[in-house]
Amino acid sequence: MRLWAALLVVAVIGPWDMKLFPGTVAPGASGQARLVYASSPFGVAVTADGHARYDIQITATGLPAPSTIGSYTAYVAWQASPDLSHWTRLGTVTNGKTTVGAVDLNKFLFVITAESSPTPATHHGPTVLHGTSPSGWLQSFLTHPLFRGTPQ
Amino acid sequence: MRGLVAVMLIASTAAAQTAPSRDTSMANMPGMAGMPGMAMMPIPMPPGMVVMPGLVGLSPAVAKTFLPSGSPEASATPRTVVRLKDGDTLDLAAILVSETIGARATTAYAYNAQIAGPLIRVPQNATVMVRFTNKIDLPTAVHWHGVRLENASDGAPGLTQEPVATGKGYLYRLHFPDAGIYWYHSHVREDIQQPLGLYGNIIVDSPDPHYYEPANHEEVLMLGDILVNHDTLIPFGAEQPDFTLMGRVGNMIRVNAEPTYALDVPQGAVVRFYLTNVASSRTFNVSFGDAPIKVVASDESRFEHEELVPSVVLGPAERYVVDVRFPHPGRYAFVNAVQAINHFQGEFMPEVDTLGVVTVGATPAKPDYAARFAVLHTNDSVVRDIARYRSAFTHPPDHTLHLTLKTSGLPLATVQFMSIDTAYFAPVEWVDGMPDMNWLSTAAQVRWIIRDEASGKDNMDIDWHAPVGSTPVVRIINDDRSFHPMQHPIHLHGQRMLVIARDGVPTKNLVWKDTVIIPVGSAVDLLVDASNPGAWMLHCHISEHLESGMMTVMHVDPK
Repeated sequence: MRLWAALLVVAVIGPWDMKLFPGTVAPGASGQARLVYASSPFGVAVTADGHARYDIQITATGLPAPSTIGSYTAYVAWQASPDLSHWTRLGTVTNGKTTVGAVDLNKFLFVITAESSPTPATHHGPTVLHGTSPSGWLQSFLTHPLFRGTPQ
Repeated sequence: MRGLVAVMLIASTAAAQTAPSRDTSMANMPGMAGMPGMAMMPIPMPPGMVVMPGLVGLSPAVAKTFLPSGSPEASATPRTVVRLKDGDTLDLAAILVSETIGARATTAYAYNAQIAGPLIRVPQNATVMVRFTNKIDLPTAVHWHGVRLENASDGAPGLTQEPVATGKGYLYRLHFPDAGIYWYHSHVREDIQQPLGLYGNIIVDSPDPHYYEPANHEEVLMLGDILVNHDTLIPFGAEQPDFTLMGRVGNMIRVNAEPTYALDVPQGAVVRFYLTNVASSRTFNVSFGDAPIKVVASDESRFEHEELVPSVVLGPAERYVVDVRFPHPGRYAFVNAVQAINHFQGEFMPEVDTLGVVTVGATPAKPDYAARFAVLHTNDSVVRDIARYRSAFTHPPDHTLHLTLKTSGLPLATVQFMSIDTAYFAPVEWVDGMPDMNWLSTAAQVRWIIRDEASGKDNMDIDWHAPVGSTPVVRIINDDRSFHPMQHPIHLHGQRMLVIARDGVPTKNLVWKDTVIIPVGSAVDLLVDASNPGAWMLHCHISEHLESGMMTVMHVDPK
């Protein structure tokens, strides 16, 4: 019991959670994703140029069988740059808990698509869940009165 | 709408300023006379940034500033190696020295006139005496970081000894039970004394000649930084530290106290680097161009398994031993590369500092260790040692500590900005993205807190006991909802510990540590090998956080 209570503490903390929103082909799907540092001897996992490397722990519900929404066999998770110019396949996703990774962009979109293969080279199928990295919440304050020196 | 935002900001300001502040006054201590009347020097801002309008013209709320005073006893010299054997005695003195920073002669501190201090090299299991004398203008003490030694020689003022006053001395008895890389540094006003030169390394050599794989060459590097305006040191707060929100992040990175580092090696050489982060606050991410890096050991032991890594991350006070092979002739840049955040534009930006250059010649290295380097070894003795503790890994935490802070009396603009810049907190702040706000925060306004979840007590009020021989599991949670969340390198004196899990994910490759980075929002589970009786500090190793209260004591009680 104490162990479960302890694990619960871990489960509810952290600013690294992403809410996943359904695509139109799977309106009943929902999910949460959490960034955790990828395995590293330093605890803090980064690339040589300093990009954080995270694994993504996904909890998904309501995903229909891929075949029910088209000629698909698997749901595949992707990291996409905010301008959608670069996509990286992360792994397959099912209902329940899945961990995929690792992402290594400062800001990224997290997209789960239906695909005809669990290892497609590029994304072809429709989006069933998607979210934005917490770093995507960074805001610009350049126009705020605080930084223009104007009266508030 | 704007009016509503303004009201909310004012309300949050009021709330932020109701917290009590901690009195860390040291104004009455010798050497703290300060520099009354000295005009505050503006701090340098990063390129492209200006001081926030509401902070222009302000200076930290310290009565006096401080830089070392008195006549230097000598000019600072490079480090020498001091080899000690069991039973030897070393005379070590902290003195005032003249050090050239840029083109300017500056008064700094040094152990035996050397910055970094003498590299002490001792055999494992040796016991040596250090006759320490304080000849600087502040009280001080020497902490032997990471060494599992007798409590009375730990160098923790107020706990294991009184600060050593100017002109006085202290006799340290050092026993070195573990092979590896350690360091020693001041433990009084570290925010002043450490960046000014009071630090040095210790290498404890294993009797096993094959403890590490062979290397062609060894380098012992202490990575630090100092904060200067051109070549002039930014003064410190005399009675209390400034830069307490995120610690003083220097704008001049130094390797062994030098602004540049250079090494010449033959082609294919394997170089063993002993790396120590001696900065007050900066976390490094260093690499050597495309030269492959193999991480071998850290604070208190070798890793269970050697790993190839793209770079080496070092929080303040952490050490890593890495083997690097330089396969091709040419120049390899030794860089610190991080992703900084511009909080005003809401964007990441790469920041790269070149710390030095490794020049690789055309002559092949002899012997050629390429084949040995290519193998990732498992250290069976480390695996066996750690296996004795694995049954405790699944235990629920015996203690849960939360890392947070309280503030009061910070400048209004600081409170306003930080109250709205809360949409995203980076797990690690690699650079000071708000030096103006940071500079203006003093220990009178910022109280960093270690809070015991069970008792609700903070910092030195926590009454924490563990019997010797026990293996308590400690969960440390870094509060991501505080006024200023940031990472904390947590150091436990006199014991060794394992990071058994981060955010519920078990650690795959274990190593004994004494200092661990706790990122923002993370929960890190530590197994402490409570093997060494005494009263031992646990604290954040960001100097200004420590000086702002972020410390507690673990009592390891004898049976």
